[in-house]
Amino acid sequence: MKKVLLAFSLLTSSLTGFAEDAAPSVNTPETCGVCHGVDGNSPAGVFPNLAGQNARYLYLQLKDFKEGRRNDPLMSPIAKQLEKKEMQALAKHFSEQKPKPVKFTADNTKAAAGKKIADDALCPMCHLGGFVGQNEIPRVAGQQPDYVRKQLTDFRARNRTNDAGNMTAYSASLTDDDIENLVHYIATLD
Amino acid sequence: MEFIKSKLALGLAASLLISSAAFAAEEIQGGAVTASKPMSSALVPVTQAMLSASEGDGKHWLHPNGNYAQTRYYPASQIHTGNVGKLKPAFVFQTAVLESMETAPLIVNGVMFLTTSYNHVYAIDAVTGEEFWHYKHKMGAVTTFCCGPNNRGVAALDGKLFMGTLDAKLVALDAKSGKVLWETEIADPELGYSETMAPAAVDGKVLIGTNGGEYGIRGFVKAYDANDGKLLWTFYTIPEKGHEGVWNPNDATNRNMKRDIAAEKAALAKNGGDFYKTLGGGVWMTPAVDLESKTVFFVAGNPSPDLYGAERPGDNLYTDSIVAVDLNTGAYKWHYQYVAHDVWDLDAVSPPILTTAKGSDGKDRKVVIHGGKTGHVYVHDRATGELIRFSDAMVPQTGLWSLPTKEGARMDLGANGGVEWSPMAVNPKLRMAYAANLIQPMTYHVEAAAYPGGKLWLGGAFKTIPGGAQTGRLSAINLDTGKIAWQADTPQPLMGGILATAGGLVFNGEGNGWFKAFDAKNGKELWKFNCGAGANAPAVSYMVNGKQYIAVAAGGNTQLDFKRGNSVFVFALP
Repeated sequence: MKKVLLAFSLLTSSLTGFAEDAAPSVNTPETCGVCHGVDGNSPAGVFPNLAGQNARYLYLQLKDFKEGRRNDPLMSPIAKQLEKKEMQALAKHFSEQKPKPVKFTADNTKAAAGKKIADDALCPMCHLGGFVGQNEIPRVAGQQPDYVRKQLTDFRARNRTNDAGNMTAYSASLTDDDIENLVHYIATLD
Repeated sequence: MEFIKSKLALGLAASLLISSAAFAAEEIQGGAVTASKPMSSALVPVTQAMLSASEGDGKHWLHPNGNYAQTRYYPASQIHTGNVGKLKPAFVFQTAVLESMETAPLIVNGVMFLTTSYNHVYAIDAVTGEEFWHYKHKMGAVTTFCCGPNNRGVAALDGKLFMGTLDAKLVALDAKSGKVLWETEIADPELGYSETMAPAAVDGKVLIGTNGGEYGIRGFVKAYDANDGKLLWTFYTIPEKGHEGVWNPNDATNRNMKRDIAAEKAALAKNGGDFYKTLGGGVWMTPAVDLESKTVFFVAGNPSPDLYGAERPGDNLYTDSIVAVDLNTGAYKWHYQYVAHDVWDLDAVSPPILTTAKGSDGKDRKVVIHGGKTGHVYVHDRATGELIRFSDAMVPQTGLWSLPTKEGARMDLGANGGVEWSPMAVNPKLRMAYAANLIQPMTYHVEAAAYPGGKLWLGGAFKTIPGGAQTGRLSAINLDTGKIAWQADTPQPLMGGILATAGGLVFNGEGNGWFKAFDAKNGKELWKFNCGAGANAPAVSYMVNGKQYIAVAAGGNTQLDFKRGNSVFVFALP
């Protein structure tokens, strides 16, 4: 939590600084790196790792934040300031970073149950085997467990709806235990 | 279509292999031609006269589907039912791209032109497999495509080759050198447009449709000047006005689709019809061309979003339809819709075929046929679109048309349909059509979903039945009666397409690598060879120096996740 607070604090001061400039800029990896890590490896579980993520996915998510299809109190105002080329450049930068293992000890029983859920639900058809992602479908392997848990919960509750009904449909039948098992399974992937 | 043909394919979306994902970055660096060996002096420019005469041409293979009628019927018979058992590999050509192959190679006087995923083109010696040149398209920063980075081949005319690309461009290459002659953007890939189909080249024009029915595009067929890439005409598969149609409650086989038409009418009255801009209607496969009547025939795919119909009240014309337009102007001639207001992605994808079949009076009629994802072969009058007959169902249809629900409604007919993009073939002497079938029961789930800005837009999900079997079937249909003549079951769903030959043969590949020849009359298996990766592309045939060859790409398949490969196998008699 300390790290989270620190990140928030840094971001706030960073944005404040930008706001005071004549030409405010949030278009640098350093700005994003306050929460996500300049190398795309997030210092805190609530912020997703961006390292190694598909550039196409990153760009489309930024675009959705900018245009209001995805909402987050931190990301939405930042994305609104970004131009298309800036979003594409940021997406390219973070997609080219090397992901580092997350600090999380997965429970083997839960991870095995999570794998079965993933296979039955055909997750690999889009996310590919090992959840490495492709094109606009995100890489989930090695993602922050807290973030994965929140996204699945948000899809299920329809708090996140920029998936055009796909993930909301798949998550609709997941129980809390299912989500936890998936979190543990995904944490075992790299 | 495709959604699950495209589509999502099974769920979802297009899947790439891990290896290909790594490979993709390299592909973006493309834009180069590598010459390996001087081009064969035998290569000649493909003239309009050659293209027009291709139905009787046993030497070349000049169209992706054999000829403008798209019969995929090879008219020579050196390889026949009596000797096909001796067929052996002549050579194997390995491309540099290990990913799904759906290419139908062209062969011009002993030179083969083939394509791969990510828009590579190779020119090779069709007898030895030696490479003449290799072209890599320089992919733009934005590509948006469903169901794999596929390409289904090039068109040829007057010394040029034409290819549609994943970043929605049309590229013209010099057939001799592989160098780019011109390039034009067909549509904005940011909005979900992309190209995997092989174009058609005719009368100085290049005809091409578009993918994108899973992304909220507005589908079209466009005609470009073959000389310079200038746009000549556009036919939108979604009309700005009138897309609500006639509020048809039934499908083409007169089965009720459980539409709430009163609610749809109320929604249209309240919200208007501006959604035509994102209503889908992709055109995935090469059109057929009737040179006599100067008519272009194609099928338009599913409406967007696939499963959530409340966004788009009405019949959603011309989605899920066969459409005829004027070759010279693109003007509408007629259409016939198979599924109005589709919420299952059971659309129209497999390319239309022009042939002859008997009318109800027993007299021959000029017809255009289509193998639908619904699992029927439809036979239409070519001039009017009148539905003369539809075939027996080739696959199980239990549960048809159960409306998608949040929890999931099951139908035996899965969203890849009974016939996917796979081209059918016709043996005009036997008057049979041959279709590659899929049997994939699924549940259909709906979720409300607004237009997501060029991202995959399904409005729900298709799910296979956990632990449930998924199989395939090769079906032969008597076009004069609509009856099933024979069927051969396969352990996996079929995707790729059929070749029929005057040798009384039918060739078909499977996802497990088997490439097989059958007796066209009765379906008896006569020969098989395992390619080591999914044989999921339509085979072709040609003749060089008096010897007949059969060629098929075996690169596996993204949509069904069949084992990937990178090779074209070519067979001949010893």
